[in-house]
Amino acid sequence: MSTNIPANLKYTKEHEWVLVEGETISVGITDFAQSALGDIVFLEVPQIGVELKEGSTFGVVESIKSVSDLYTPVSGEVTGRNTDIESSPEKINQDAYGAWLIKVKIKNASDLNKLLTAQQYQEFCNTSH
Amino acid sequence: MTLLKTHLYDEHVKLNAKIVPFAGWDMPVQYTSVKDEVLAIRNNVGVFDVSHMGEFFVEGKDAEQFVDYLVTNDIIGAPTGKAIYSPLCRDNGTVIDDLIVYKLAPGRVLICVNASNIDKDFLWIKSQLHGFDCTLKNKSDEYSLLALQGPKSYQILKPLLKELPDLEYYSVFETQFEGAPVIIARTGYTGEDGFEVFGDHACIKHLWQIFMNNGVVPCGLAARDVLRLEVCYPLYGHELNDELNPYDAGLGWTVKGQKPRFIGKAALADKKAHYKLFKLTLDRGIPREGYQVLNGKNEVIGIITSGSMSVVTNKGIAFARIQIDKVPVDEVFLVDIRQKPYAAQLVKKPFVTGGHK
Repeated sequence: MSTNIPANLKYTKEHEWVLVEGETISVGITDFAQSALGDIVFLEVPQIGVELKEGSTFGVVESIKSVSDLYTPVSGEVTGRNTDIESSPEKINQDAYGAWLIKVKIKNASDLNKLLTAQQYQEFCNTSH
Repeated sequence: MTLLKTHLYDEHVKLNAKIVPFAGWDMPVQYTSVKDEVLAIRNNVGVFDVSHMGEFFVEGKDAEQFVDYLVTNDIIGAPTGKAIYSPLCRDNGTVIDDLIVYKLAPGRVLICVNASNIDKDFLWIKSQLHGFDCTLKNKSDEYSLLALQGPKSYQILKPLLKELPDLEYYSVFETQFEGAPVIIARTGYTGEDGFEVFGDHACIKHLWQIFMNNGVVPCGLAARDVLRLEVCYPLYGHELNDELNPYDAGLGWTVKGQKPRFIGKAALADKKAHYKLFKLTLDRGIPREGYQVLNGKNEVIGIITSGSMSVVTNKGIAFARIQIDKVPVDEVFLVDIRQKPYAAQLVKKPFVTGGHK
């Protein structure tokens, strides 16, 4: 399995990556996740303005043969969705960390403390798979 | 329960295949990419290890008569050398399995059955033998099986065998590979031209290795499922099961009511279907097995039995089993995907036209 895990990002145990930029985060799925899924063919994410709760599902990503839920890393309001990736979801396979899916305005800064560092995520991938 | 492994298991591991449990076996589901594997078979050539499937041999004076009695399709009327697809039914018409009958020689018939149904089928078939002068042997453990599929199959396979005539689609031929006997059939369940090769484990393993060295693309069960769904072939456990009759799955064409006798004849005589199987395609959204199918009034009328993204059409494709009394006359079908209705178009022809002979 791939070990492409950039140090500047945060991670979840559900294989999302999080880029923190001030009061907003960008969310995508990790290289490990895209590799496990295979050819990604469909993406469903919420509308701008939707309130998301940390730990709840916010959308799905589908490969030819499978459906996987996407999990909210940090509570907050959706402030952006990547329409380019929605229309060409195969770009997630090509560059998982270049393909953000949604942006969320952080509601509780303390949620960030629950996220994994790159090193913690690496260890999680090593032990759980 | 310990999962069974085919004799090619180590080859799959060497190729970094993703291995999953399937019908009691550890099987390769994908090697590199489902998409690339599907396209290899549609446009070039690929190979599946389908050694998990079952091989029964019926031999003796009454072999053809017995198999003709067992299944709904016409076996006696087909010439020696033909392969015939058929459901295997109970007296009440429900489907035990779907299988392919290969008429190898007079008094010698091979039946290839689904891996998940080997024990069920064998017990049933054995229990029907009385009164027929023939023997039944389950040789599933002695045979490995490869399905070489795609337009370049013939040019890859021909030079490797002692002899390979340009067989008709759905026909069978016995020859040799490196001195070992092999059974070659122009079948394969992908809709493309191709061959299935039955042989002993050592010879099939070597044949696999030669295929790999000749650039044949190894393909997994995920690609196989997409390929068969694109050309609208049913799969047991999805479109067919123990509760359905052949008419429920659109297989009325395989029930030959004019045969003097066969198991299920009386029950199937009225051709009564409880369900109708439809082909649906979606411009947006991917239908999956188990999703509910709705009519224009958002009422549940049936269920998706198989669904996927089509690699060739790049659209969602599915088989939908609709209750016969709820078939919508306006042909409006919706698929409930995560509590949202997605419009589906009814299609009459297969989603993809395979290139088989």
